[in-house]
Amino acid sequence: MNSTVLRKYLTDSRRAFLGWALSITAVAAMYSSMWPVMGGNSGLATAIDSFPKALRDAFHLQDYGTVAGYFGSTVFGLLVPILLAVFAVSAGARAIAGDEEAGTLDLVLAHPVGRVQLAVSRWLAVLAAILLAGAVLLLVELAIRVPAGFTDLGMANLAAMVLQLVLFGCCFASIAFGIGAWTGRRTYAIVGGAYLTVVAYLCDSFLPQINGLHWTQYFSPFHWYLGGEPLVNGVQWTHCALLAGVGLAFAAIGIHGFSRRDIAQGGWRG
Amino acid sequence: MTDFAIEATGLVKRYGNARTGKTALAGLDLAVPHGQVFGFLGPNGAGKTTMIRLLLDLIRPTSGSLRILGADPRDSTKTRGRIGYLAGDFRIDGRQTGHEALTYLGELRGGVPAARITELAERLDLDLSRRIGTLSKGNRQKIGVVQAFMHTPELLVLDEPTSGLDPFLQQRFVEMVQEAGGNGQTVFMSSHVLSEVQQTCRRVGIIREGELVTVADVERLRQSAHRTIEIAFASKIDISVFDRLPGLQNVAVTATADGGSVLRAILTGSPDPLLKATARFEATSLLAEEPELEEIFFTFYEHGPHGTGPHGTGPHGTGPHGTGPHGTGTKGQAS
Repeated sequence: MNSTVLRKYLTDSRRAFLGWALSITAVAAMYSSMWPVMGGNSGLATAIDSFPKALRDAFHLQDYGTVAGYFGSTVFGLLVPILLAVFAVSAGARAIAGDEEAGTLDLVLAHPVGRVQLAVSRWLAVLAAILLAGAVLLLVELAIRVPAGFTDLGMANLAAMVLQLVLFGCCFASIAFGIGAWTGRRTYAIVGGAYLTVVAYLCDSFLPQINGLHWTQYFSPFHWYLGGEPLVNGVQWTHCALLAGVGLAFAAIGIHGFSRRDIAQGGWRG
Repeated sequence: MTDFAIEATGLVKRYGNARTGKTALAGLDLAVPHGQVFGFLGPNGAGKTTMIRLLLDLIRPTSGSLRILGADPRDSTKTRGRIGYLAGDFRIDGRQTGHEALTYLGELRGGVPAARITELAERLDLDLSRRIGTLSKGNRQKIGVVQAFMHTPELLVLDEPTSGLDPFLQQRFVEMVQEAGGNGQTVFMSSHVLSEVQQTCRRVGIIREGELVTVADVERLRQSAHRTIEIAFASKIDISVFDRLPGLQNVAVTATADGGSVLRAILTGSPDPLLKATARFEATSLLAEEPELEEIFFTFYEHGPHGTGPHGTGPHGTGPHGTGPHGTGTKGQAS
């Protein structure tokens, strides 16, 4: 790890990173503040409760009338994790592969910085950016908890949910980072990351509704993120370990490949 | 510890797999002593950039060995601190100012005094407070020049460094390379610009199709090349005066409308006999075209080991040990 590289990467990317953190937080805050109108004993909650169970399961619409159920299905159910996954995949893909394709990686590597050192620093910078997004989101949620009337949701459970959200983001960032570091191609990293995000979502939402495919959810990072209902049950350590483990494995394999292969010249020069 | 700043033995680099692969270096042998300013010439695609990227461990050799400042590039993270590198199409993240970028790169090297960065920037007339993304290509390249020179490295590795610089800055750059040579820094520079090579390098290696063809003294290389000569005379001249002069070929004399004549020829080697012959007449203009570097290559490849190519013993008594332009395994060892 090289703190100069890490710090520099965060400084250079600060606008993008802050922009993502704020927009993800804005979406979450918007959903949260609608709880008094749409959740609770509102007509919508009653209507949703009358949907078929399979549909409710697929869209995480269980217990729409309780605050934990509402937050699990709206705030943390789809849009926020998907937005975070998009951010994570693009940041992860950019960290090595994007820089390499732009031809700007040569310069840093011509300095006394080892390949592994550089890759680990960049990877940690991306993880820090996701942690930052989670921290901003948690702070805003805690701040609007009283005004938006969802005090029934414990602070500890809210924090647990955000922790698992951050790990979920780190998992996908590491997947894209690993593919990018291994191949040097940003497209592969983005497509690979996006594909796995979609597959993970389907494995957790729709596939389990098919008879005999219920087990697929246990392999999905979406399930590891939300399946244990951290909003009700607090931190699910096994799920956290799975998210971290998969992320670490992708990052480690990618960095290993990166340290052994040729760096592409990048740009148009032949 | 060896005497050489760069030492390559049987260096092979192939890209891609066995079926679609391309051989960029096919057994290159090269040794550049400490403190020498060495030019690395060759046509496009000859393997110059491949060699330079191997030196910086951006790519790894397929086989053969390479030492840089006495270490294998592969495990020489520290050694890279003693090297300055500049690519012809220097690329850097445009989201930062020149000052930020250079401070960062200096920190990666363990710190470079701000005064040194400012001094180099002033010398190149570079505004460090602007975002790099808003700079012209030439000004971006200046950032590259500063980062390569700012820590006064033992070894400068320059890959066609002046592309994108205007002639004034090319001259500044040449001065900086000359100074580096004067300081005892080793310079390894690939180039297409003959004047720049002539002004900076004492020895050059010529590479073609991934092999080192020869190592030669710059002056000898240049003298051995053809020059196109065009002399206008005030009166009619006799072709027989010129067509048997040593070193002069393809002699042609044409009459002009105003009663004068024009001599066209190709000159190889010393211009002395031609000038003495010309002195007998009234010359109104003289044009001697500097050969393009490509033409020098052509001259060089045309003549075998027994031709007029730069194969003689160098002025310092230790000429290239080459076995000729098409010989393999030429150990180019500069004096």
